[in-house]
Amino acid sequence: MTAAVSRVKILAVGAALPSLRLTAGDVTATWGAGARRGTTAVCAPDEDVLTLSWHAAERALAAAGVDPTDVDGLWWGTSRPPFAEGPSLSLLAAALRLRDDIAGALNSGSTLAGLDALLSAWDAVAAGAARVALVVGADALRPGLGTAFEAWAGAGAAALVLRAGDGPATLTHRVARGRPVLDRYRGDREPATRDLYDSRLFREQIFLPLIDDIGAAISDGVDAWSLPDPDGRLGAAAAQRVGASVVSSGEAYEAAGDTGSAAPLLGALAALAAPGVVAIVGYGGGRMSAVTIEVDTEVPGAADVHRVLASGRRSSYPEVLRARGELVPSGETVEMAVPPGSAAFVRGEVEMIGLLGARCIDCGTVNTPPSVHPACTGCGGAKLEEIALARTGSVHTFVVNHTMPAPFVAPLPLVVVDLDDGARLMLQGTSDDATSLAIDDRVELVLRRYTVERGVPVYGFKVHKVETATKGETP
Amino acid sequence: MSWNRVAVVGAGLIRFGELFDQSYEQMAAGAFTAAMANVDKGFEPVQVEAAMIATQRGTLWGQEGIGGNTVPTALGIAGIPCTRIENACPSGSDAFRIGAMAVASGVHDVVLVIGVEKMRDKSTEEGLLARAAAGHPVYTRGESAPVLFAPFATRHMHEFGTTREMLASVAVKNHHNGTLDPYAHFQTEVTVEQVLKAPPVCHPLHLLDCCPQTDGAAAAILVNAERAREFTDHPVYVAGFGVATDHPYLHEKTTFTALPATVKAAERAYAMAGIGPADVDLAEVHDCFTITEILDIEDLGFCEKGKGGVMSIEGETALTGRIPVNPSGGLLAKGHPIGASGVAQLTECWWQLRGQADGRQVTIRNGFALQHNVGGRGSGVSVVNVLTTNAS
Repeated sequence: MTAAVSRVKILAVGAALPSLRLTAGDVTATWGAGARRGTTAVCAPDEDVLTLSWHAAERALAAAGVDPTDVDGLWWGTSRPPFAEGPSLSLLAAALRLRDDIAGALNSGSTLAGLDALLSAWDAVAAGAARVALVVGADALRPGLGTAFEAWAGAGAAALVLRAGDGPATLTHRVARGRPVLDRYRGDREPATRDLYDSRLFREQIFLPLIDDIGAAISDGVDAWSLPDPDGRLGAAAAQRVGASVVSSGEAYEAAGDTGSAAPLLGALAALAAPGVVAIVGYGGGRMSAVTIEVDTEVPGAADVHRVLASGRRSSYPEVLRARGELVPSGETVEMAVPPGSAAFVRGEVEMIGLLGARCIDCGTVNTPPSVHPACTGCGGAKLEEIALARTGSVHTFVVNHTMPAPFVAPLPLVVVDLDDGARLMLQGTSDDATSLAIDDRVELVLRRYTVERGVPVYGFKVHKVETATKGETP
Repeated sequence: MSWNRVAVVGAGLIRFGELFDQSYEQMAAGAFTAAMANVDKGFEPVQVEAAMIATQRGTLWGQEGIGGNTVPTALGIAGIPCTRIENACPSGSDAFRIGAMAVASGVHDVVLVIGVEKMRDKSTEEGLLARAAAGHPVYTRGESAPVLFAPFATRHMHEFGTTREMLASVAVKNHHNGTLDPYAHFQTEVTVEQVLKAPPVCHPLHLLDCCPQTDGAAAAILVNAERAREFTDHPVYVAGFGVATDHPYLHEKTTFTALPATVKAAERAYAMAGIGPADVDLAEVHDCFTITEILDIEDLGFCEKGKGGVMSIEGETALTGRIPVNPSGGLLAKGHPIGASGVAQLTECWWQLRGQADGRQVTIRNGFALQHNVGGRGSGVSVVNVLTTNAS
């Protein structure tokens, strides 16, 4: 059944992939399975679904030219929220510097969660409950070791900014079908996702009947399709069934594999760069949903998606296993002196994840973090105002630490960065920059997962190089 | 005119090293015995009126909350007033300063200052390196001890052209001095090439740019200057001292080519002693890393800012140089049992001023020796003590 809902616009979009790329053939060769083409995008040890979601959302907000405080709601869809039960949504909102009174919800439970989030946000804007809504679909799938799914499971995030009123693209139609069947499944206490069904059973009895129904409902006039491809083959079958001539999702699957809840959105973003009708079809948890979008003019951020999909560093299978927590060195790890459940986190989480500072009204010095600075380090004054720190700057000095106990992983850069608003911070750098950092390098601050402490992920910003200085020493 | 209200009449230490066979208490007793044995006219434990103990981190040997009572019991003088001083790497030198103030106040005439530190009862990973996970969950995470100084090396090299060879010259000199110090942890020479080729610890610092992890204890006996002659005919006086602080986060530093706490502490100590850097015959300074000694000699006024590397590589800080620095071998060769380090440096100054430093004896022209520590989060605590043989 096609339903026409009150028209809601897409203002801008953004995408993010993690930094590692795993070659599918390396996985299949390890397990003695047949050769497989393609790569999947995999999280580095300090990346996860929250950091990817932050990055995609930041890009979408920047492309939209929307100030974070103008966002009225955050709808986040992921089958793998950073906390199975915990402050996932509020952490993402704080990291994005959204207001603390926003609407929104975390959609989860299946890989349809990203599309569910889009529909929920659409409803909220259409109903007038939110004027500007931020939608993020993201996942960092964790496959079972040695499964066929392992060479296809990926990670990524896609974000859209919705608004009532004017905009370059319009959400027009939606359709949904459901069957109460098990498909991809993960129970409590299970770290890895498993595929329950024989692939032929799934294809013939579940997937193709659903795609036929959906296609019949929305295929008229569609110029480009984002289609589900949960195993690397069904995408082609779906394209044939709906009669798609342009499948925009192919590029994202090729680059990143199956990005779960991100996949339907990620597969559509690039198509929003050109006028026409784009259909997004998603599948998960026994349900298939689709929306159509009419693009009038290029949606800001859409053209940048090709660059994001082409990024990343090729990684070895052992490196990926280590990043996923499958390969763990033996021995003790040192505990964080301040446990995540302690009062220091209650006092300091917002300023830490929102990257806030306290600017002295008298002398202008920026003191970080505010909660430990009742007095200014510059002049001793007590008149301080909280500010959101700049997230770009230059390297003032740095070290690369090679000697730390587990769970630290060497080489670890620690960078003193002079931010473009005059603040100075010391933060960890990313491991990829360890061998090339130099004084005066231009850097940006990106949200990363610092550690998983006593089972709880702890997030903060890290320094990441954006371009190389013309002079300076290298390690 | 120096302050000179307090005299040091005895000082001593145990041989530093990985003292797996000695307990914290045994090390303390050893240092106390050594200091008493060095009192010219004899000293008995019962003469101690009060004690200041410096132990920086009890957690390194499984003692979370060590107080002021562990050491008196170990020394057989339980019951005396005793306070534990913990002020980062300058803990020992600050215990000395506070002990001197206790004597100068007239409350006590005889005060024992003793620094004791167990660094190696725990593995490196569980011990000293565990500080990488201490402090702020993000802003100091990964900040093991070399991180407090290595960014200064990076910047000093960038701004002043200081080279790794210049850093290495500090290690080579201090290891040479260590071969002449029977109390040093390391008593072997190292070459510039060995320092340069050592494995990286925290870029740009490599293994031999770093002090070792060392167990040790040192003690000094402070008395009212008016009573010094009861104990010795060759007293050494406390000429002055200074302590200063700086912000605890590295990102709060306004400079990465100087340690402002050292500059301020030195200004205060010089003013109190009525001297300037040119009057100092020798200095025992905080060389936890090679770059630290280069910063120290600049911040203490022994050379212009930026010239510390050149001054070192040209030999001006050698035993026979213009201003001998770390004749004991410094923390790099003698070792750095944190609470004991300052007291051991003062012991070396005491020996040097009394002409008792044997093969490493430097020329005493003016009768002043300077002792310095700096450390803590953001290298934000520094203590400078000045000793003299000149009766005021």
